[in-house]
Amino acid sequence: MYQDLTPEKISLREWSRQFRMVGDSEIRQFKYYNNDEWGIYLSPPATFMVYGSRQLKKLKFDNSLAALRLWGFTFNESERLFRARQSGKRIIAAMGDLGTVPVIALAFPDCIPFYPDCTWWTPFFNESTVLLDKASELGTPEASCFVRSTLAAFHKMAYFPKPDILFASTGASCDDYSCIMQMVEDMGYELNWLEIPFRRQRRSLHVPEEHTVAESGFEYPKRFETYLVDEYKRVWQKMEALTGTGDLEDLNASIEKNNRIRRLVNEIKDLTQTAAVAPFPALEMMIIEFGNLYGYADIDEWLDILKMIKQTIADRVEKGIGVLASDAVPLAWVTPTADPLLLNIVEDLGGRIVATEYVINQALTTIEEGIEPFHALARSFMNASLIGSTEERVRQIARGVDSGKIAGVIITNMLGCSHCAMETRLIEEKLKNVPVLAIDIPAPLGITAQLRTRITAFIEMLR
Amino acid sequence: MNLIGYACSYIPVEILSATGLHPYRLLHGAFDLSKEGERFVRVDACPMVKSNLAHVIKNQAKFAALIGSTGCDMSRRMFDILAEHTKIPVYVVNIPRTDNPAIYNDEIDWLAKQLEHFTHKELIAEMITDEISKWEARRARLRSIDIKRAAHPSLISTTDFHKLMSGYHKGALSDEITQHQDPTDKPRVYLLGSAITYEANHILQLIEEKLRIVGDFNCGLSRPLGIRIKEQSIDGVKKAYYDQAPCVYKRPHQRYYEFIKAETVRLGCTGIIAWTLDYCDVHEFELQKIENVLNLPVLRIRSDFSFQGLSQLKTRIEAFTEMLCTRI
Repeated sequence: MYQDLTPEKISLREWSRQFRMVGDSEIRQFKYYNNDEWGIYLSPPATFMVYGSRQLKKLKFDNSLAALRLWGFTFNESERLFRARQSGKRIIAAMGDLGTVPVIALAFPDCIPFYPDCTWWTPFFNESTVLLDKASELGTPEASCFVRSTLAAFHKMAYFPKPDILFASTGASCDDYSCIMQMVEDMGYELNWLEIPFRRQRRSLHVPEEHTVAESGFEYPKRFETYLVDEYKRVWQKMEALTGTGDLEDLNASIEKNNRIRRLVNEIKDLTQTAAVAPFPALEMMIIEFGNLYGYADIDEWLDILKMIKQTIADRVEKGIGVLASDAVPLAWVTPTADPLLLNIVEDLGGRIVATEYVINQALTTIEEGIEPFHALARSFMNASLIGSTEERVRQIARGVDSGKIAGVIITNMLGCSHCAMETRLIEEKLKNVPVLAIDIPAPLGITAQLRTRITAFIEMLR
Repeated sequence: MNLIGYACSYIPVEILSATGLHPYRLLHGAFDLSKEGERFVRVDACPMVKSNLAHVIKNQAKFAALIGSTGCDMSRRMFDILAEHTKIPVYVVNIPRTDNPAIYNDEIDWLAKQLEHFTHKELIAEMITDEISKWEARRARLRSIDIKRAAHPSLISTTDFHKLMSGYHKGALSDEITQHQDPTDKPRVYLLGSAITYEANHILQLIEEKLRIVGDFNCGLSRPLGIRIKEQSIDGVKKAYYDQAPCVYKRPHQRYYEFIKAETVRLGCTGIIAWTLDYCDVHEFELQKIENVLNLPVLRIRSDFSFQGLSQLKTRIEAFTEMLCTRI
């Protein structure tokens, strides 16, 4: 039986060496879609470097078996989606809403939801501009979010199988992606458009209107829920038409399962962020958070991986051991980085991520159970990061600052990204009690010594 | 303090005007204003948004209220910043991007209620009817001028027409500018893309030294003229505004292209001028499709409102004109 070593962040080469200690029985134990024949995914991260994720050779990884499982599983997703197609499952593309449509899709048998949006990391993991260049060729502006690589992925049809159905959420969300989704439709894909309402804050000058409060404490007009309910019912009907089935009890069960994941992730975050020594690295933690969107195309296996990760972290916390120095500077991170290497760099330079706002708050909050399921989904979505004010978005971070848990804030921006352009200064103002470093994510392979120096100086200053 | 600032073609000017305040569309765009706006947002924000921010903050004493919309992301977020940096009451209306009239109708009702409360003035049916009559008459007059712009030969330049439309957008109910006829046989082109701001007249002038813009689909120009209120009530207002030629941000956007295509044919245009502002995603993403769908030569002009590259732009316009003349 494999025993975890003293926690540390190790290189690709070290993982390959350490992988020799993983027994065959363990390798066979972990499989996606519970398939013994082709569902095995545990392999050293070097495997995926060979397949094209060149950046892995620069990254450092947690050395636990749980982390190995996480990397193997998440990097295996593309294969998994094609396998799903080959084995007769239906592929459901959810786009733009980041967290809710998959809960509905998972209520239908043999339906695998995924987010093409997540292709935005691919150019960085692959250290390649192939997708970005293709997106430019297809007509996207150079100065737009890296999520434009999604368009190229749809064009190339090699990163995920052609979805059986696509749901595209637009409205109070970022413009870049709305435009990209439209371009996907122009390629010939049939999109089912959903409207996302703006979460308007109640102001003292407003005429009172029936308001309600989301789990994150955001107030909004109650009628906005009904707009979303109508949209989610349309998703349900489309899914019924696609699969020829549909039982609301299955939706309740899907909500319950997604909640188990969300609670588990919240517990993992809480354990990690509050421990005296950081028990798990920031890069793996980002992947854990984003798993809430759709369970990386096998929600049951993902749930099991999360349980193992939680156990690993809990053991480390109990022993007071971890992967970073005990005097690492506590930082909050606002807006996820498209380049995963940055998370490694910040930790290497003495930072520790103790709070995040990765624009997916809607996927982190639990969905109410015991109420009408579409209402529950609508109420859950009203916690979304990007549909309201900037103040709401960074409220939790501001609280962390006020309580002394956060010493500095890093904001990552993408050139030309509509919300980044408008929010960064306001975030800096809202977090005026703490130093803030705003970073522009460069194109793949674009991290320079200058950027490292800025981060070094920021962390030194905080110390 | 009698202006009510608004930022979207879907906000009914009749309702704003019924409050007794003076509707003023936020359509500022000048290099110096844009630079000032960078105090509040990153450099890669839309230059019109930056200019509007700077203009409103500088002139806040003139604004009684601001009406925002979810039209484009940067514009929506601009009101977040204005609420933060001014004491002007801000109301942001959900304008659906998909075909969802129910949301639009609810939101316009909400806006009317807010404005009644804010101005302590009930927007009774007669007031709305009166405003509809006034603004419809204003639009009818502008339409009659637009017909001259579209005539063969075109009798009015868009440079002049823009001045008239700027008056409309600034809330003027009568023409303060004398229009003079300027018939021309220059190549006829259609203008589309980002907003033509109050300060962008020189760009139109530059284009029209060689070409004649006979139609457009830009905020700041003729877009409101497509609004025709048939039913003299607030429901009639909502229907007319909702049914206007759809903004390019509507999803899906087929109707936008159908409209543009029909217009270029109707007006006998031989070329397109695609005007985009830096970082204006909504329009920049469309450029390739515009070329593919409209099947006409397209001259792309991208601007940050600076005069940098003016000579180059002049040369490009000349080359485009020569190309159109050769095709003809």
